[in-house]
Amino acid sequence: MTSLLGRIDHHASTGRTAWHRASALGKLALAAGIIGVAIFSHSLMLLAVMHAIAWMLVLSSRLPARLALLAAAYPLPFLGLFLISRWDGTAVTLLVLLLRPLTASLVSAWLVGTTPYPDLFAPLSRVLPRQTGDGLFLTYRALFALLARSERLGQSMRLRGGFGGSVRRRLALAGEGMGTLAVHSFDRSQNLYAAMLLRGHSGRICGCRHFAHRSAADLLSLAVAGVVAAAAILLWRSA
Amino acid sequence: MSHLHLPDGVLPPWLWASSIALVLVLLAFAGRVTDPRRVAYQGALAAMMLAAMGVPLGPLDFHVSLAGPVGVLLGAAAGFQVVFVVSLILAFIGHGGLTAVGLNTLVLGLAGATASLAYGALARRLSPATALAMATAGGQILSGVLWFGVVTLALRTPQHPASLGAHPPRLEVVSALMIALWMLGLVVESVVAFGVGRFLSRVHPGLLPALSSESA
Repeated sequence: MTSLLGRIDHHASTGRTAWHRASALGKLALAAGIIGVAIFSHSLMLLAVMHAIAWMLVLSSRLPARLALLAAAYPLPFLGLFLISRWDGTAVTLLVLLLRPLTASLVSAWLVGTTPYPDLFAPLSRVLPRQTGDGLFLTYRALFALLARSERLGQSMRLRGGFGGSVRRRLALAGEGMGTLAVHSFDRSQNLYAAMLLRGHSGRICGCRHFAHRSAADLLSLAVAGVVAAAAILLWRSA
Repeated sequence: MSHLHLPDGVLPPWLWASSIALVLVLLAFAGRVTDPRRVAYQGALAAMMLAAMGVPLGPLDFHVSLAGPVGVLLGAAAGFQVVFVVSLILAFIGHGGLTAVGLNTLVLGLAGATASLAYGALARRLSPATALAMATAGGQILSGVLWFGVVTLALRTPQHPASLGAHPPRLEVVSALMIALWMLGLVVESVVAFGVGRFLSRVHPGLLPALSSESA
């Protein structure tokens, strides 16, 4: 899951499509619109159109197919459970219950696959309480360094026989490994906070402002939003 | 197991919308009572939770959440902020729907807050490792009950297509699987928390709240 996060983030930062140039704010609004229509729509036809638009977004963003499928498939295990419990045996129900979450997860994959996390967090941090908004940036900053460290830790534990013995022993050793990461996180965060103060941290990480910078690529977001709105108006009451 | 993987579109809007509103209120309150100087530490522990969740332990993408140990290390309010950040980042990669962020935060936050409160009482009588394990187990039990309640509510609430209303949900299927996974999660989270507590009490006891107050 975290490697998926890393690969999607890499694609978001290095991609060169029009979607990568479009503003984060416009893409957030478009994603919210598509997910909203998919969740609230009672029309299978409209859902199918939203799903097709979601695929079009993913394909035009050149997100590697494997990544897109992995991200989109995350809801499937629990969706399977939901279907076992609620399915009434009709194809319409099956399609509606499948298309809603799959459309939402595809749109999420497109959004994070074309928008670096700091750009995505910047508008959100303006509406969230200060410390929570800052937490988004600091978590993102710490995550990849911690992942590299946890990988090295896992390798050294394996080499020293840390994964042998009973399940209880292995789990307790995994917990000790987490303990080393907690100590490392504490030490690192002390240094980071000191550096933040030295650089003039005033109690709020503002994030970059280019999440709202408009470009010609935003016309693309606007065009797709127009298609979504037209489809919603025309097909809302259809079967 | 206390982490919801419910995707978008299966929860009734009143449930996910009210949970997001409640979470925003709780976050505003948490912002008033937490120490802003610990924001970097909170971010680092949120990253640790994400890293821990990246290790699958079995079917259905089962993984530990570390909500209990993080709740104990940071306290209930700061722990709540951390689980919101983690839930939001996970939702952006489809690991639970964006509309489930509020419920995820409430469920994980309850695990952290319960563990934090229980640890304060248990650490006076037990070793730090045992106290952390038992506090984590307590948090898992309560959050599991909340989680199960949310899933049951989601399955019982009338949904569209309307034909679903004529078919009562087969809760026994969900219950059998969920209770088994919940029990497994309870044991796994507690044993991992025991290891975290054992390591920290030997290497950096000042990070554990009860011991740090004793040393001060």
